Amino acid sequence: MRKIAILAAIAIMVALLAPALAVAGPKEIKIGVIYPLTGSVAAAGRELRNGAELAAEIANNVMPKIDMTMAKNAGIKSLGGAKIVLIFKDHQGNPQLGADLAKKLIKDDKVVGILGCYHSSVTKTVSAVCERYGVPMINGSSTSPTLTKRGFKWFWRTTPHDKWFTKDLFEFLVGLSKGKVKGVKAVPMAELKTLASACEKTEWGSNVSLEIANFAKEYGFDLKANILYAAKSPDLSSEVQSMIATKPGAMLFASYTSDALLMIKTLKSMKAKPKVIWGQDAGFDKPEFRALGGEIEGILTRSVFLPSVVKMKPLAGEVNSMYAKKHGHDMDGASARSFTGLQTWVYVLEKAGSTEPKAIQQAANTISIPGKQLVVPWVGIKFSTKGDEIGQNVLGNGLIGQYQMKDGKIGLQVVFPFDMATAPMIFPFKGF
Amino acid sequence: MEDLAIQATKSLVSGLLMGLVFALVALGLTVIFGVMDIVNFAHGEFLMVGMYTTLLTSPLLGIDPVLTLPIAGLVGALLGVMCYFGLIRFLIKGPMIAQLFGTFGLMIFLRNLALLFMGSEPRVIHQGWLVGKSFIVGPGVVLESTKLAVAVLSLVSFAVVWWLINRTKVGRALTATSLDAEGARYMGISTEKMNALAWAVGGASVGIAGGLLVNFWPVEPGVGLLFTMIAFATVALGGFGSVRGALVAGILIGIIVNIPPVWDSMMRLVDVTGLDIHSFKYTMVYAIYFLIMVLRPQGLFGWKQ
Repeated sequence: MRKIAILAAIAIMVALLAPALAVAGPKEIKIGVIYPLTGSVAAAGRELRNGAELAAEIANNVMPKIDMTMAKNAGIKSLGGAKIVLIFKDHQGNPQLGADLAKKLIKDDKVVGILGCYHSSVTKTVSAVCERYGVPMINGSSTSPTLTKRGFKWFWRTTPHDKWFTKDLFEFLVGLSKGKVKGVKAVPMAELKTLASACEKTEWGSNVSLEIANFAKEYGFDLKANILYAAKSPDLSSEVQSMIATKPGAMLFASYTSDALLMIKTLKSMKAKPKVIWGQDAGFDKPEFRALGGEIEGILTRSVFLPSVVKMKPLAGEVNSMYAKKHGHDMDGASARSFTGLQTWVYVLEKAGSTEPKAIQQAANTISIPGKQLVVPWVGIKFSTKGDEIGQNVLGNGLIGQYQMKDGKIGLQVVFPFDMATAPMIFPFKGF
Repeated sequence: MEDLAIQATKSLVSGLLMGLVFALVALGLTVIFGVMDIVNFAHGEFLMVGMYTTLLTSPLLGIDPVLTLPIAGLVGALLGVMCYFGLIRFLIKGPMIAQLFGTFGLMIFLRNLALLFMGSEPRVIHQGWLVGKSFIVGPGVVLESTKLAVAVLSLVSFAVVWWLINRTKVGRALTATSLDAEGARYMGISTEKMNALAWAVGGASVGIAGGLLVNFWPVEPGVGLLFTMIAFATVALGGFGSVRGALVAGILIGIIVNIPPVWDSMMRLVDVTGLDIHSFKYTMVYAIYFLIMVLRPQGLFGWKQ
């Protein structure tokens, strides 16, 4: 009888303790974040870091004003309120350094997973390390299409990639010729048909260049110059000369910050005057670029976040005003995508309820984050688990914005998708 | 065909201007090497310091960036002298390898110092007499004001350095030091002062070059490397220590890197596209560089030791 009583007492104690044991998880969850924090792309690195930090701050605290699930809990609820801790590393745009940092984060810092790395070339080596060690990696801002064509089991990408963005550009140009662009009458195709492109020659720019060539052919444009150049270049005069010589209707660029600034200054000094100038985000969407002021009025850039989006999305407005209060300027494509990347990490961990790689993998493969939870104007986040794009978010989309002066301040207005246009487009580009 | 002629003229003008920019950047390097036989790996960082000096002093003093050039030159000269007395004069007592690694360390030190105090974001000058200005001088031929100013300054600097070395007592002392330091000491020349002067002249010329370049190029702590590689090629091609050689080699390299648009236009005439201009131009520069090195290891205007 006594034995039965003791066993019963133990059973009751276990039963009482079991829920507590079940929710007792780690007090903090370490995520390794690998970004270019120094070097010529440091301006982007700063925005990326700021975006990830803001997402972590919202996830770790209760912020009732923000209508996001992660803002309702202090930490990861399914892991006993464990806080997200970010460990930042600087890859300086160097793929080998990125791979070494990933190994260090995995082996020494024992991170649960990795977020990064902006440069597609670095994301490529870092994701290969993660794949080898079976550690999950979420990528928020690398857009080389090849990254999700490798069949990796531990790599997920939230952002749309350059194939989608470049397709948007050609849809936009065709729309321009058909009078679909707000405020612009149909432009004769002959005025737009000739194109010239210059892209920096890392993994990212090279793939953009390739996509431009493919889509130009598909959409019936004549790509007269398709130039690759080194982002760290002392001079871009010969590249710009070659582009001008083709008398293009539109000039297309994929540039990081330093070379985007140099490119614009060279275009200006050589009196380039195409009808359209379009940049593939990155350097064309940084505060340093915007600081050129009236000079860049009329230039287009693709993005996934434009400050004017906040008019249509109150949630984006709330997060953006928090960001602007902290950093003195609006979010841009880099910070918004980094924010979304870390947010995805939070939702995946919440769904997994565990820090075990297998549980995270399963959660990532089945997660579905609705668009209303996001600051970026996407339908949502849902990763492909089969086909030739494993790990790619299939619910993303891009925007094309145009720099316009408003109240003496330069800012971006949405011109594509056509039904989301926030202002009439300035056409043609007025020149420098 | 007319387009091709215009393109050739544009490329020649652009190449000449860019070549004089390269020559000015290389001038300080060749002066230091000529006097002391030291390869200064930190040369590009001196340029970066000149760029930051103008970037910071122009708004601080409320003057046009061009007017800050004497300050950039002075800062460059002071930096040169400080580096000489603080580091180089100890290194020259050691083996050649110590000098190489010493100036390499100086490069890393200056770059990280800039990172520490200036941050890593690229910065540009938005306002100024030279900023964004250019002149059309023919059909499609554009003279960019910043490059034009650097080119003029380059010619003036070369003339001044040539005059200093060939027509003044100090110059003769510098030449004597460069040819035979020990002999010069026996003749009563303070080689220590001559070495410091070489570093001051080298630092001042590249500091002024940086002060002008920042009107066009974005500055960030790593910007020096872009120009250092070209400066090394210029000095080696022209002849180590040859001031005249640096000028000719700079112009030669400037023209070579601006030839590809002409090739590109020619290819377009026969409807062939796809030239990788960037790789092509630097492949050409270094192919010619290697060719000269093989045929004439002392460079175009150098002399055998």
